[in-house]
Amino acid sequence: MSDEKRSASLSGAGHLSGGDYTRVSISGAGKVSGDLKAEALRISGAGKVEGHTEALQIAVSGSGAFAGEVVADEMRVSGAARIDGAARVKELKCSGSYRVKENIQAEYVKISGVLRVGGDVEADLFKASGGFEIEGLLSADKVEIRPGGRCFAREIGGERIDVRRGGYREKGILLDGFVRMFTGRGAAEVRADVIEGDEIHLEDTAADVVRGKRVEIGPGCRIGTVEYTERLDVHPSAEVKDQKKI
Amino acid sequence: MDDDKLISKKDVLERMGISYGQLYRWKRKGLIPELWFIRRSTFTGQETFFPEEKILERIEQIKDMKGDHPLDDLADVITQQVNAKLQVAFDRLKDLKWFDASILDACRIDRTEGGPLTIQETLCVAVLSALRRSARDEELELVRKTLRERLDPVLLDRVTEESLQLHLLRKRLSGGGISAEISLAVIGPAGIVLDPEIESVETVDLGHLLERIKLDLAKETEAEPPAAPSARNTEEER
Repeated sequence: MSDEKRSASLSGAGHLSGGDYTRVSISGAGKVSGDLKAEALRISGAGKVEGHTEALQIAVSGSGAFAGEVVADEMRVSGAARIDGAARVKELKCSGSYRVKENIQAEYVKISGVLRVGGDVEADLFKASGGFEIEGLLSADKVEIRPGGRCFAREIGGERIDVRRGGYREKGILLDGFVRMFTGRGAAEVRADVIEGDEIHLEDTAADVVRGKRVEIGPGCRIGTVEYTERLDVHPSAEVKDQKKI
Repeated sequence: MDDDKLISKKDVLERMGISYGQLYRWKRKGLIPELWFIRRSTFTGQETFFPEEKILERIEQIKDMKGDHPLDDLADVITQQVNAKLQVAFDRLKDLKWFDASILDACRIDRTEGGPLTIQETLCVAVLSALRRSARDEELELVRKTLRERLDPVLLDRVTEESLQLHLLRKRLSGGGISAEISLAVIGPAGIVLDPEIESVETVDLGHLLERIKLDLAKETEAEPPAAPSARNTEEER
């Protein structure tokens, strides 16, 4: 293999061997064998990388499947992306569907579609207005959720956790239907075993335990226990079984 | 291995005066190992506990250092600091009962100035001392190289946690009137099973040896004042 970097474009049914590229574009049904390193990777058809993927920019508007780990500065998905390894992406924006078998490590995550993660999601800022299912911990300095479908994480932790009504309810039926297609027919709400943060505001949230410094439990919440150190406000329509000031 | 006392997350926050945001951030930056998060069900619901001594000491370190280093670099700095703390004054080696000065050459350690040894170097001295009688010179060199190249901080942690052992093995191969013997150095958990043709020259319990070094040194240092605690830094992050 030459050291010279090259670009590759696959349209129709194509096959590309892994290596170091500047730009890779897949617009038909394309497969990359081995590890792929590229400055930019664009998948607008059905693309599959059979090894690890490392790129500055990844854009998926069709369907992208990644068999290994994905490392990128920026990843935008408006179609569907499936990653069988872990994702280390500085900036992740998804308005389609994003599935990761292992963890997501990011600085910024914005999800307006659906997200499914087998492990943890770690970010500085996490924003979701669609639905998600995170098997492990969702942790960010700021977690902002406007549930547009079922949102589940086993544990949510960070400095500020803000869950408010909104999401797709106000954005029309089409997107709403799309999100529900993936997340099931459940109500648009957040469900977690444990939520911990310094500033917590919750609406439409069901959790076993909420722990925080300043906690606001808003309308539509069903909480088992709230433990707080400074302040707790509970909306009259919210259900809190147990509350404790520590 | 350690009989660790556990402390709940909220007690950690209260005792150290830190916030949930900080704790989660530090975890994300790799400053607090995943292994220390112990999730348990309690009557108030799921709670997270930590090994008390380790977590309090680590948070103290982070608080001390975060003024001087960007958070993203701190993980590396702390790993180095932990290792640095295990440095052994070279001059003190000879006070240790098991220490054999003649092994220093084999360890390729030259400290005419008497600078400190890393814990890896010290462990190397201890292992080679233990092997000296049964191993050949080339084998000592093989073990030294193995320890030098493989004994990184991750493995060093595992040495204590999993009681790793170092095995020195030999195997003779013969055929066509020629025979050769190869030596192998293997680091692994206790109870490995070998093929019957392998001769086990010596097995050294690294975990045990490491404990002994630490204990011996602790005894030696009792008379001295403890390392100067760095000034507490209570300013809020960000």
